[in-house]
Amino acid sequence: MKKILSALMALVLVSLVFPVLAGAEDVVEDFHGAVLNVFNWGSYIDEDEQVLESFKKKYNCEINYKNYDSNETLYTKLLGGDDPWDILVPSDYMIERLIKEKRLQPLDKSIIDNLDNLAEPVRNLAFDPDNTYSVPYLWQSVGIVYDTTKLDPALVEEKGWEIFLDPSIKGHAYMYDSARDAFMIALKSLGYSANSENLEEIDAANEWLLNMHRTIDPSYVTDEMIDGMAEGLKWISLGYSGDIAYIISENEDMAFCAPWQGTNIAVDAMVIPANAGNPRLANLFIRHVTEYESSLLISDYTGYASPNAQVLEELYGPGGTYEGNSAYMPRAGYAADEIYVDLPDLAGELNHRWTKVMAAQ
Amino acid sequence: MKSFVRMSYPYILWIGIFVVAPMIMILLYAFTRGGNSTLTIHFTLENFGRFFSDPDFMRVLWTSLRIAFITTVVCILIGYPAALFIANLPERRQTLMILLITLPMWINMLLKTYAWRGILLNFDDMSSEIKVFIGMVYDFLPYMIIQIHTAIAKLDRELLTASYDLGADKWKSFLKVTLPLSIPGIISGVTLVFLPAVSSFVIPKLLGGGNYVLIGTLIENYFLVAGDWNFGSAISLIMALIIIAAMYFTRKIDRAAEEE
Repeated sequence: MKKILSALMALVLVSLVFPVLAGAEDVVEDFHGAVLNVFNWGSYIDEDEQVLESFKKKYNCEINYKNYDSNETLYTKLLGGDDPWDILVPSDYMIERLIKEKRLQPLDKSIIDNLDNLAEPVRNLAFDPDNTYSVPYLWQSVGIVYDTTKLDPALVEEKGWEIFLDPSIKGHAYMYDSARDAFMIALKSLGYSANSENLEEIDAANEWLLNMHRTIDPSYVTDEMIDGMAEGLKWISLGYSGDIAYIISENEDMAFCAPWQGTNIAVDAMVIPANAGNPRLANLFIRHVTEYESSLLISDYTGYASPNAQVLEELYGPGGTYEGNSAYMPRAGYAADEIYVDLPDLAGELNHRWTKVMAAQ
Repeated sequence: MKSFVRMSYPYILWIGIFVVAPMIMILLYAFTRGGNSTLTIHFTLENFGRFFSDPDFMRVLWTSLRIAFITTVVCILIGYPAALFIANLPERRQTLMILLITLPMWINMLLKTYAWRGILLNFDDMSSEIKVFIGMVYDFLPYMIIQIHTAIAKLDRELLTASYDLGADKWKSFLKVTLPLSIPGIISGVTLVFLPAVSSFVIPKLLGGGNYVLIGTLIENYFLVAGDWNFGSAISLIMALIIIAAMYFTRKIDRAAEEE
């Protein structure tokens, strides 16, 4: 009995010592348990957070990982609190605003030296052409997901965004509760730019949305549409390509449509706030996430397109997780597609009008 | 006695920091414009004008009040007979019944609402309004039952005996004795149900399938999404005033009932 016990004890001891040894060997640079504050979108990393775990090991640090659910929440939190975040992952137009307001610091390219593998569509982006402040994290387009057993694909493709004005889908549609995206589909549908600041065009878009509200009485939701569509609770929804890629992989009756009127291409990119507590560690983190292994894990799990050309090929190509899944790969080079421009004077107004559309009778 | 007074200081400090200070900030935001710079303060009534002149917002307010009102009425209609029934049971059974009613109150409200969502998903034909009411009544009913039960249980049984002696039948005794004396219970039940129900938005949001914009949703939207803290504060303040007014009137009814 004693022997068994001591053997067990020895086993326990060995297992206690070994990981420490193994970990110690991997440390690239020792930050002595410093904390990196990362603020990212919800469910926007690989399933087991392997990407974070391996970083913690490599640099002997801790990560305080928190989530937000919209660029506006992120911005409000950044203004309201004085939590010094080290890494944020805002979208294009929000990065543009943060740069304009001097809330970001330039990246250290001597650390982030692995940007050659950026995919063509996410290079030279207008909001930060030479990646001075930002490195793309994931990218996507806004599109339509619909149930092919309820709606004819030919009809959806032919109508594009106009399908949201079709009385036949009344009571069977989700609409994503996002002011900017809602106005985007209305503006695009009317043939205007998604970045229009022309009040007449915006009035027309507002009418379009009110018309949609009255005609199809949609359920206004956010991420609930992901499970809802995967379970087939509704026929059609506005959604983000990455979420739709996931929905299609869960439910093969669902299909993706990138409307012919043009849509929004969105790029979420990592940035370091000007008041970051640990810029060196933050730069190392960006480098770590941009590497092939991390990028593959993140894109594979989330279904959003990777900024890493090699990963894109791997996942979309033959044998990849998203082989032939049209929602995974945003269409590149379509003239009518636009990236959002920051509209600081209009943001409040669009939100106000959108709230009123949702509350209208 | 004095030492006991001192023991309340931490609580007063707590209230000061987490209740009074935010209220003052809301008040300040509600009457000013232009969020982020607090250096120059422009006082204005604009935010209130914007709310009350807007038919959509007025309808949202009306819907919130209506849902809270119907929830309260249904809670009374179900809760009163239940409380009466429990109060007439033998002592030990009463304790058990009250325990059973309290039980769901220990579970997080969000969790219960998600459970309801799962159940109600199977009822496609049910209107989302009915679903919202089911969720609301389920969540608030225990508060009503317990308040009314406490009032009835306190009742002096001799009063009923006297009423029978004087020739009143059961129904008349109930109307003349039990009901009037249990009104304070109903009133405190109403306070515990109606007031939280007006500002509740999680249940309508989850069970209403996103077809409802209620006052709580509006406030959330203006604070978190639109970043318009001034307008958000104004709506919060309007809500606070409605709640204070409601409390004032229930107190008044309560006192009138006691004087009778």
